Amino acid sequence: MNEQVPAVADDAPEACRTPDAEERSLWRRVMDQVADHCRSRSLFVLHYCTGCGAVELPPTITSRFDMERVGVSPMVTPRQADLLLITGYLSVKTLKRVILSYEQMQSPKYVLGFGSCTINGGMYWNSYATVKRLDQYIPVDGFIAGCMPRPEAVQQVFLDLMARIDAGQANAWRDYYLDYNRYLGHQAALFGEDWHTPTDVVAEARHYGHFGPGTTGVHTARLETYTEWAMSKIPELLPERGANEKVRP
Amino acid sequence: MGEGTPMGFWELVADLVLMPLVAFVVGLALVLMARRVRARIERRVGPPVMQPVYDIVKLYSKRTQISHGWMHDVAIMLLLGGFITAEIFLPVPGMNGLAQHGDLLTLIYIMMVPMLGMALGVGDCANPNGSIGISRALTAMLAYDVPYIIAVIGACMVYGTSNLVEIVEIQQAGGPATWGIATMPLLAVAGLISMHGMLGKEPFEIYIAPAEIATGPMVEMSGKYMGALFVMQCFQLYTVGVLYTTLFLGGGEMWLTFLPKVFAVILVFVAITNVFGRLRTDDVIAWMWKWPTGIALLGLLLVMIDV
Repeated sequence: MNEQVPAVADDAPEACRTPDAEERSLWRRVMDQVADHCRSRSLFVLHYCTGCGAVELPPTITSRFDMERVGVSPMVTPRQADLLLITGYLSVKTLKRVILSYEQMQSPKYVLGFGSCTINGGMYWNSYATVKRLDQYIPVDGFIAGCMPRPEAVQQVFLDLMARIDAGQANAWRDYYLDYNRYLGHQAALFGEDWHTPTDVVAEARHYGHFGPGTTGVHTARLETYTEWAMSKIPELLPERGANEKVRP
Repeated sequence: MGEGTPMGFWELVADLVLMPLVAFVVGLALVLMARRVRARIERRVGPPVMQPVYDIVKLYSKRTQISHGWMHDVAIMLLLGGFITAEIFLPVPGMNGLAQHGDLLTLIYIMMVPMLGMALGVGDCANPNGSIGISRALTAMLAYDVPYIIAVIGACMVYGTSNLVEIVEIQQAGGPATWGIATMPLLAVAGLISMHGMLGKEPFEIYIAPAEIATGPMVEMSGKYMGALFVMQCFQLYTVGVLYTTLFLGGGEMWLTFLPKVFAVILVFVAITNVFGRLRTDDVIAWMWKWPTGIALLGLLLVMIDV
């Protein structure tokens, strides 16, 4: 319909986003809008409650403010959750667990940072063990300023996030695939050069069509050597499974 | 309509398609009611009317998937397939489906398939929380199945048949005085408790235990797998509600008198659920084999003396 949209080609120049033919169809657009609406009205929340923000969540969810009115309900495992709440400061050690949990969640997934600690370190700005900026390590959809934000502020950011999901604009989860090299670089700078997670993010990006120029790079190259080393160990340890595992991309 | 005639065949096909669909729609309403009642008990407003649909559509429209092997995929088919098959054997007003050809024992057998499917699929995930959950679930099944089977056998003895269509007809012909809850109150109580255990709600929800083993069998279910579990929950509430209504509350000739009974049964379960904590696995077995089983055996004894 729109003549200015470039056709999809194998040697297409690197654009920020190449629209594919399937996505332009009317059927697909209507279905995406329905899906986006349902996504915005049903947010399963995984609380990462190591910070002070955890105390603001019980009033938000229980009878005082009751977020189930708009479809926000708590979930207990990352596999089932859509929204990861980082409720306050993260130490270097807990950030590792946050990244593991984040990678286990299924896309589309959203992250909200609570309070000043996730924005710039807050009152822990000069601590050697505390993460200063959360959005350097995982893509974040929104922050709530304050120390601590009141439940009203929490509600407001939920409503803002819902409006953006409904409009199809809350796509920060794609950045983790498109820009994985940068995120991994920041993680490795904090955790050391041998940092890796069980999730093969690069393979996921390829499989789900979110592979971009920033997905691989200097930092992901290190992962490949690790994968080769791990694969080379498989036939010795599990000879009967070796052939099976090697077939995997 | 006689068997073998073309009209009978097409009627059967219509039943086989419509019965699971009706079950799903009624199941959505039951899930909504359960969540709304829970909210009111906690002095909250509760979710909007379309919330169960939002949840299912959202889960089915996830962009990424984690599968833990082909058994994990087959398990979901067993889960949903078991319940969809069970709906076909459950007579509802206007639709008998295959209920004439398979009796109550077939239904009991089919209703065990989903739990076994879940066990096979969760075994493929290799998540320790899932393994603990499924071992607890099968143990709980061992606990609630004893009073459940006794109650069902007692009901079959009272009606003199294990055919669900005939059971409904007997109760419809005799009026409320011949309803199972009037003719065998002790078996009805035992059946209510054991079917509550079957739903896996508090105080018998040790195998889900969100704060302890992170929802147990469901821990590795994501996206479309979780969506299938949400659909299964609709079918599960409907199956248990309809089975109890059929056995003890007289079934129904028309939807207007049938559905209120189904909703009332589930409302009893929901009301009990929300005021109880969680029993340990060994306590579940001890309690289930003591009280509901005792009540059911006493009811069976009374039934046998009367007969």
